[in-house]
Amino acid sequence: MKTMLQTIFQRHWNPYVVLLIAGILSAVYFGLTSTVWAVTGEFTRLGGDILLLLGVNAADWQYYEMVGLQGATWSRPDGWIIWGMFIGALTMVLLSNSFKIRLPQQKRRYVQGFVGGIIAGFGARLAMGCNLAAFFTGVPQFSVHAWIFIVATGVGTFFGAKLTKMRWWKGKPSLMRGAAKPSKVKTRVIQPYVGGAIAIAYVSVMIYFFTSGQTALGLGALFGLAFGILIERGQICFTAAFRDLFLVGRSLMAKAIIVGMAVSSVLTFIIISIYDLTPITQIAALSTVVGGALFGLGIVMASGCETGMMYRLMEGQVLFLPVFAGNIIGATFLAYAWDHLGIYNVLVKSGAKINLLDAIGPVGAIVSTLLMLGVLYALTVYREKSYHRHFELKRAVK
Amino acid sequence: MQTNTEADFTLDLRGESCPYPVIYTLEALEGMSKGELLQVITDCPGSFRNVPEEALAHGYTFAQDPVKNGQEYLFYIYA
Repeated sequence: MKTMLQTIFQRHWNPYVVLLIAGILSAVYFGLTSTVWAVTGEFTRLGGDILLLLGVNAADWQYYEMVGLQGATWSRPDGWIIWGMFIGALTMVLLSNSFKIRLPQQKRRYVQGFVGGIIAGFGARLAMGCNLAAFFTGVPQFSVHAWIFIVATGVGTFFGAKLTKMRWWKGKPSLMRGAAKPSKVKTRVIQPYVGGAIAIAYVSVMIYFFTSGQTALGLGALFGLAFGILIERGQICFTAAFRDLFLVGRSLMAKAIIVGMAVSSVLTFIIISIYDLTPITQIAALSTVVGGALFGLGIVMASGCETGMMYRLMEGQVLFLPVFAGNIIGATFLAYAWDHLGIYNVLVKSGAKINLLDAIGPVGAIVSTLLMLGVLYALTVYREKSYHRHFELKRAVK
Repeated sequence: MQTNTEADFTLDLRGESCPYPVIYTLEALEGMSKGELLQVITDCPGSFRNVPEEALAHGYTFAQDPVKNGQEYLFYIYA
């Protein structure tokens, strides 16, 4: 029992296992609700809610008419996905006694996080989804926009990684001579009790939803919780998946994400065929390219995307407060710019909703999706190998 | 807690978020002479895994097992 508890709470889980489960769960969630695991759409609605509070009627902006701005965040299943993710991550952090207020030594990080957050929020909504709806849960829906988004995000993160390496951007660490004392460890452990209390309260809310017939909210709350637990325990980071490949040739996260998407694609394919569901297709246009590239750049600047930011904030990483605020501001500004600044006419109007299932048939869709994931996997391995080849040469010369 | 070997340098990364712990650690190791010992103190949960794994992947060795100290980790790496 003790070792089991240790494996669950004291160690982070293997990203492959976590993303495999997340891939399966997101396919099941789609089967049950005909919607996908997504976060930034709700961030945009939160921005709309705030505007309404300030007396600005954003509900009649074109973008909000498209994504819907009814009720409050706690009466929307997408809203409960978000709150479930926050609570799931927070509960795990507390149960593992790992909450700590973490303030960056480099004050420049706050500005970088805020600006990066705005760019990432704006880009994600321009492309109709972040690393989830236009990536992890977009590919299994066979929506072509997800593939454009992935390539564009890769390009954006490449330039983000270049920026990260610049001296004025990364700052100088405090390298000292000799050994230093670590922090004193508190002997009284209270975090797991707080975590337990929060978990019980949240489960009660979920039970209430299911027993009072509000199944959609209950499912949102349940799956949100599961996703929050998974991303925190697995330290799932889509930013790192791209960025660390460019920075230090690290491939673990990228490979795990690709494997998770492959499993999710197969399962979603089966679910769509059996239950005759309509896959969720988003518009593919110039906006997908621009949005993806901005998103890629923004998430590296901010050190986290809209999903990774959520559990890091719950761990007490204060840096992600300005990132969260930036994400909402960026997404809301996009909603404004959509019709008011003509973004729709310039970047989106000429596009089309393309789904592989319709375009090349079911067999073609699943085969080409798996093939493209295979290519992505091969590119990841190639990049890792070439990085280490260069590094060893450099070390040998030194 | 056993710290049998005295570190030559210490990198205090408490508060820094990923990817900076990895970048700083690899850069510090690159700038040190072979055989010198670096102590890394970090509290970013992502770095508990990527710092030791990347130090190893870049050919550095550990003087001892990582030490979990409350909400932070200590690493002892030979340049």
